[in-house]
Amino acid sequence: MDQRIIFKTAEGGVAVIIPTVSVELAMKDIPDGVQYKVVNVSEIPSDRTFRNAWTVETTGWETR
Amino acid sequence: MSKIALSPNSSGTGTFTIASPNSNTNRTLTLPDEAGTVVTNASDIESQVKTATNATGSQPIYAARAWVNFNGTGTIAIRDSGNVSSLTDNGTADYTINFTTAMSNINYAWVGSLGYDSVAQEGWVSSPYNIAYSTWKTTTSLRTVGVYANGSANVDYIDYSIIVFG
Repeated sequence: MDQRIIFKTAEGGVAVIIPTVSVELAMKDIPDGVQYKVVNVSEIPSDRTFRNAWTVETTGWETR
Repeated sequence: MSKIALSPNSSGTGTFTIASPNSNTNRTLTLPDEAGTVVTNASDIESQVKTATNATGSQPIYAARAWVNFNGTGTIAIRDSGNVSSLTDNGTADYTINFTTAMSNINYAWVGSLGYDSVAQEGWVSSPYNIAYSTWKTTTSLRTVGVYANGSANVDYIDYSIIVFG
């Protein structure tokens, strides 16, 4: 599974959804009303040292 | 061509009838390619399940309704799971398990475990800090955190598991 779904949390951080089977199945796990984007796993930083400081710009993203 | 044979029992006197239900659909029942008998009641099925699971005694068996094991370090990767559609990485050691098929209610029991790779510390799995019960535990998802025993902040774990019964 090389795809991830990312969205901005209510606290301003970034949440990353890791699907088990498919992105299509995991779409239901996106909270209602949030803007999200499907990305390749390579776009997610593997260095999690400052994981809670991650931010993201959501301009132009789809809304659940 | 294989054949079908009916074998009456010469000692018995009862009549055995093969009956069809009230249906307008043609159906075929394919017999298994092995010798055996037909299981017709729940106790026989329960007995076979207990045998298959090496369970003894009369206590009932309750199977897990969902489970997942994943690597929470680096690029988070789900190793294996059952009835889990996805895992949401909310932050350091903060994960939401999303169920493929929702639980019947929130009365389910859950357990979690975590492990490091050659780190001389301990930790445990807990509900998330300062989040309402009705938020972190729902019929569709379960949010948990891995708590670092030797510090105020959470850290990521290489082996994180959640099992749900209910």
